[in-house]
Amino acid sequence: MHLAISLNIAAADKQAVLDFGEIKTFVRAAEAAGIDMVVISDSAEGLSSAPFEATTLLAALATVTDKIGLVAAASTVAHQPYNLARRFASLDIISHGRAGWHATMAQGSREAANFSRPEGFSDTDFRRRTAEYIDIVQGLCRGWDADALLFDKTGGRFHDPEKMHLLDHKGEFFSVRGPLNVARSPQDTPVLVLSGLSGPDLDIATRTADVILLEDGSTESAKIRFDDLKRRATAAGRDPDAVKILTNISFAPDDGPAATADRLETELRLKSCDGFNIQLTAHSALDDFADRVLPELRRRGLVREGYRGATLRSHLGLAGGGGQ
Amino acid sequence: MTAQMKLGAFLWATGHHIAAWRHPKAHATAGIDIDHYVQLARTAERAKFDMIFCEDAAGLREANVGIASQTSRSIGFEPISLLSALAVQTSRIGLVSTASTSYNEPYGLARTFLSLDHLSGGRAGWNLVTSASPIEAANFGSTGLKPHADRYERAREFAEVVSGLWHGKAPGHDGQSFSVRDPLDLPRSPQGAPVMVQAGASDVGRDLAACTADVVFTAAQTFEEAKAFYDDLKGRMAAYGREPDDIKIMPGVSPVVAETEAEAREKHEELQELIPDDVGVALLSSYLSISDLWRYPIDGPLPELPESEGMKSRQALVVEQSRRDGLSIRQLARHFAGARGHWRIVGTAAQVADELQARFEGGAADGYNVMPSYFPGELNAFTALVVPELQRRGLFRREYEGRTLRDHLGLKRPV
Ligand SMILES: Cc1cc2nc3c(=O)[nH]c(=O)nc-3n(C[C@H](O)[C@H](O)[C@H](O)COP(=O)(O)O)c2cc1C
Repeated sequence: MHLAISLNIAAADKQAVLDFGEIKTFVRAAEAAGIDMVVISDSAEGLSSAPFEATTLLAALATVTDKIGLVAAASTVAHQPYNLARRFASLDIISHGRAGWHATMAQGSREAANFSRPEGFSDTDFRRRTAEYIDIVQGLCRGWDADALLFDKTGGRFHDPEKMHLLDHKGEFFSVRGPLNVARSPQDTPVLVLSGLSGPDLDIATRTADVILLEDGSTESAKIRFDDLKRRATAAGRDPDAVKILTNISFAPDDGPAATADRLETELRLKSCDGFNIQLTAHSALDDFADRVLPELRRRGLVREGYRGATLRSHLGLAGGGGQ
Repeated sequence: MTAQMKLGAFLWATGHHIAAWRHPKAHATAGIDIDHYVQLARTAERAKFDMIFCEDAAGLREANVGIASQTSRSIGFEPISLLSALAVQTSRIGLVSTASTSYNEPYGLARTFLSLDHLSGGRAGWNLVTSASPIEAANFGSTGLKPHADRYERAREFAEVVSGLWHGKAPGHDGQSFSVRDPLDLPRSPQGAPVMVQAGASDVGRDLAACTADVVFTAAQTFEEAKAFYDDLKGRMAAYGREPDDIKIMPGVSPVVAETEAEAREKHEELQELIPDDVGVALLSSYLSISDLWRYPIDGPLPELPESEGMKSRQALVVEQSRRDGLSIRQLARHFAGARGHWRIVGTAAQVADELQARFEGGAADGYNVMPSYFPGELNAFTALVVPELQRRGLFRREYEGRTLRDHLGLKRPV
């Protein structure tokens, strides 16, 4: 099973503000436990519980970790698509292929109110806009062929002009010429994690996302959802296994390790998800999860030992990127 | 103690010389190598530089792909992610990035730079630019580049909102370009507020700087130009109730330094030789506002040029001088492509230090933004040769006095 851990810097456990050292310790502990990725939240109502914005924090964490995937939330209202694509392509290079972008299909009132869109968007506009936005970001990230850079000093050829491609996107909400001024990144495109899906978002998600985060529900309804999403991915011409469905579950230190392992095993064996995004009720719960639940899951052969590859795509068993 | 100059290390691609990447010792893969930047930042920090500085453009620098593909400037790190990575790999040096007021929103920019400030313990700065390139504009809509006055009007409102947010005000801002409801969700800056930098040279640009900037970068070739800019900008500050010392003016300088003058000249010539002819001629053409220079024999003289609008007086002077000295198109092209309008000093550490000292003590600069011609070689040469010379003369610090970028620059801490 695939395992992500939420790093909820926006109002984590209502304790004191977390500094970088504490966050570093937390993420390194998750890395030592072999977790696929941490998912860093962004934007708080009221004062945040850490003094950081998610993409800048991701860049800093990339320099103090080696293996673990690092996913940052970034709002499609707060950033222009060209700027966001540059940021994440750059993060993917800095992290040597471990970066992911968490976008949500749900519109936050805070972004609209602070980013000069007081009226917000209608639900259908927001949906079409987000779909267009994602296509632009993914298109920009593929603007340079993987072998475009030549570094040919004597010949005076830095890059091959034929291997740089304009996007020339002209759409309903955006017009973006491209190309990106950041090189092709190790994973080709950062891993796209989508959440906040409602019914009409499902086709967009299964066409574009690498990972879909779903809220916890009954096992039966999760199973139906899972099958539906995989069917939609196939209909969109993708390998159903190219979209990983993770269920959000919360974990508290006093949850029994065997009971937790039982629950995860049941959901996985019923094929109602590909893994879990663990939301800790307190940061200290990571130790409990790593020391008590993970060994139990490993004993049952449900979680791999250590990292096999170097990129987040390889941790998740996704194609793409030359760095695997 | 005598007054001491401020120094910035301007990190750009493989170097500031257009052909930098072709130098045998240049690190050509800089734009995809984070470890290279960590090394540069640490080198600058060991030399006690006030800050490292990153330029930015939200698009390619050069529209002609044939020309662009012979330079290293079409790809590189996005600077805010780059500096965030460097923030936790350094401990003292300031971290300043350029970001556009035309293609960002003030709430997001204020929040992102404040985060960088927290990651670095109070070492962040923002270089405000309004983005003058149509190439950038095409990545943000179909209406093209906005007029200069409109860009600056937006920039003024932008700077006001950012400053308010950094000072912890609840904005409730509803202006012409922006509306912002909430205060930032992050705590106050460890240095009161991140440092505000500007590099606009136009009249409105200077006024905005006089009103809002802590640091101003400029490009000036001669002492007279630098002095005139310095006096003009400091003169504008009183109108905004500010002291002249509240802004540090730091002109760009691109030194080529070696143990002997002959070696330095040789090093410079080696770089000039690496400029591809078509790149040099294209840059010279755009500088002279003529489109068909490539038709003329490259080893021959400049053709007669029509008196054009684009032909400014300084360019006319240079053309005249090239006639007098009998420079060919190739020689002239290399001259322009290499220096890009910035101040270049080629010589020994003592010669470079003499020139820096003269402008500093002559009241034409509070410090310099150092633009090494290629990386890492020329940054290493400057820190190994020129910095110790400046320190011997008492013109530059031997140790950091404080922790934050404001401390280094001797700026007041905002309340
Ligand atoms: C040292 C220095 C660095 C600059 N860096 C940038 C930059 O990174 N991006 C940019 O768009 N403009 C940059 N500029 C240009 C100016 O900031 C400014 O946008 C330009 O001079 C136009 O403004 P003006 O019309 O007020 O002169 C730089 C200028 C100088 C002197």
